[in-house]
Amino acid sequence: MCGIAGRILNAPGQVGRDLVELMDAQEHRGADSTGFAIYGVPRESGYVVRAMGFERDTLSRDLEEFRAILREHGGDFIDDPVWDDARTSHYSVRMTITDPDDLARWTADADEICTRLEMLSVGRSLEIIKDTGGAYEVADKHGVRDMIGTHGLGHARLATESDVRPNASHPFWARPFADVAIVHNGQITDYYSWRNRLEHKGYRFLTYNDSELIAVWVSDRMKEGLSMEQALARSIREIDGVFTFMISTPDMIGFAKDRFAMKPLVVVNQNGEIAAATEEQAVRRVFEDDHIAILNYDGPGQQGIWGVGNRRAAA
Amino acid sequence: MNEIVTNEVVIEVGKRPVREVHMEMLAAANAGKSILVTNTLSRHNLGVGLPAGCKVRFEGSVGYYCGGLNTGARIEIERNAGWGCGEAMSDGHVTVGGYAGMSVGAAMLGGTIHVKGDCGPRCGVAMKGGNIVVEGKIGYQSGFMAHGGRIIALGGAGGSCADALWEGEVWVTGDVEDLGVDAVVTEPTAEQVAEVDAILDPLGLKDTSRDWRRIIAGQRLWYFESRDAKAWLMI
Repeated sequence: MCGIAGRILNAPGQVGRDLVELMDAQEHRGADSTGFAIYGVPRESGYVVRAMGFERDTLSRDLEEFRAILREHGGDFIDDPVWDDARTSHYSVRMTITDPDDLARWTADADEICTRLEMLSVGRSLEIIKDTGGAYEVADKHGVRDMIGTHGLGHARLATESDVRPNASHPFWARPFADVAIVHNGQITDYYSWRNRLEHKGYRFLTYNDSELIAVWVSDRMKEGLSMEQALARSIREIDGVFTFMISTPDMIGFAKDRFAMKPLVVVNQNGEIAAATEEQAVRRVFEDDHIAILNYDGPGQQGIWGVGNRRAAA
Repeated sequence: MNEIVTNEVVIEVGKRPVREVHMEMLAAANAGKSILVTNTLSRHNLGVGLPAGCKVRFEGSVGYYCGGLNTGARIEIERNAGWGCGEAMSDGHVTVGGYAGMSVGAAMLGGTIHVKGDCGPRCGVAMKGGNIVVEGKIGYQSGFMAHGGRIIALGGAGGSCADALWEGEVWVTGDVEDLGVDAVVTEPTAEQVAEVDAILDPLGLKDTSRDWRRIIAGQRLWYFESRDAKAWLMI
């Protein structure tokens, strides 16, 4: 059991604050860890990289090595990296970088040091922040409430089939596709067969979390030419298990639910602004009007997308 | 702060601990007061295990398991109810003014649940007695593995209706998307229709012109023989 949430605003605003509330209301669904994927105002060039290091003592060395790999691929830091000053052995770091020559190749090489410094997200606008602890704890530590953006995802994790570690939290970045993230509530039962197939296609997974697989699975289908809607429909037919997941790109959030209708999704659409969550009580944190129209996406095999900005479309 | 209005106690939920709210509800019920619960915020576990004679009205929507383990209370929910509304109740009456989420009336033993809107998947899953009346549509796989009791849907049924039903009955007017494993449609007798009308009448829902589908178990799963290839294909 996990809790997931999505939020779309009509214009850049306090999406971080809203997602923190959406997740705090669902902390009982998974107190192991909390995470957020937030889409800020997109950069025209360069990427924002969010990463997690596992030994604070080696922070400087890790960043130097990371930078050296980046330079080998034609990129470099734009600004000095910034990191949290918590008293934990792991640390979170935010970097802005110029475009590497080939994002996928650079990602593969940068992942060679992932046991020390792991990239959590790469995007023109996407930033993934995740850590162990509840929503308020993670938000306080990483300044999530102050993050301004158009849309994003949230996740409260109850670890069932993989480790409780900061980097095993959700959301997952669809490595190596920039600006794609996922949150998932459920279990994928044919995880290893799909993982093997995707690894044979050259994809790399840094955890044994099935949600990481869905992110890459959907992105791979989109890379092959399917639309988001088509990829979501195929995921319902082809991926075995019980799930509700939401996947985000710079211009939309999509969702898909398994064929057995096992995992809930509650949605409010008020004047184009969307709040979606596993539980109704969560969306009521964002929309205080007691008489808002609540949509329950409870049926089997449901899917849809909500557009962001110019790409508005009803689910 | 609680406020006593004539014979009614008003209890606000807000962000208070549900245990505290529950203790106040029990105290009011034991004092013979009816209860109005306000500012529910779709919180979970409200009104669970209420005793016979207790009368409660929830303003707004409630979260999961409201009215669960009810032993005879009369519970009214103004708007929506989350998962497991009335789960394992043995007696009493629960009314949901709007939509009821997944597994309304799961494993219930007795009493009546009346949903004025639609309800989610697996309505009445594993129920063993009592009645669930849904004015709207019942969701996917409603009646799944019900061992007894009756689901009455006035607005149709979703897919896989009455899947693996045991001794319960699912009565439907309107469209049924498709039947579940081992479910069969039968023509109800006049006596059976009269029984259903007797349930609907006190709710103001009796209509003798309805065209009923009474769905029961085909009983092939009752005598399942693992070496029977056709039985495997059925599943």
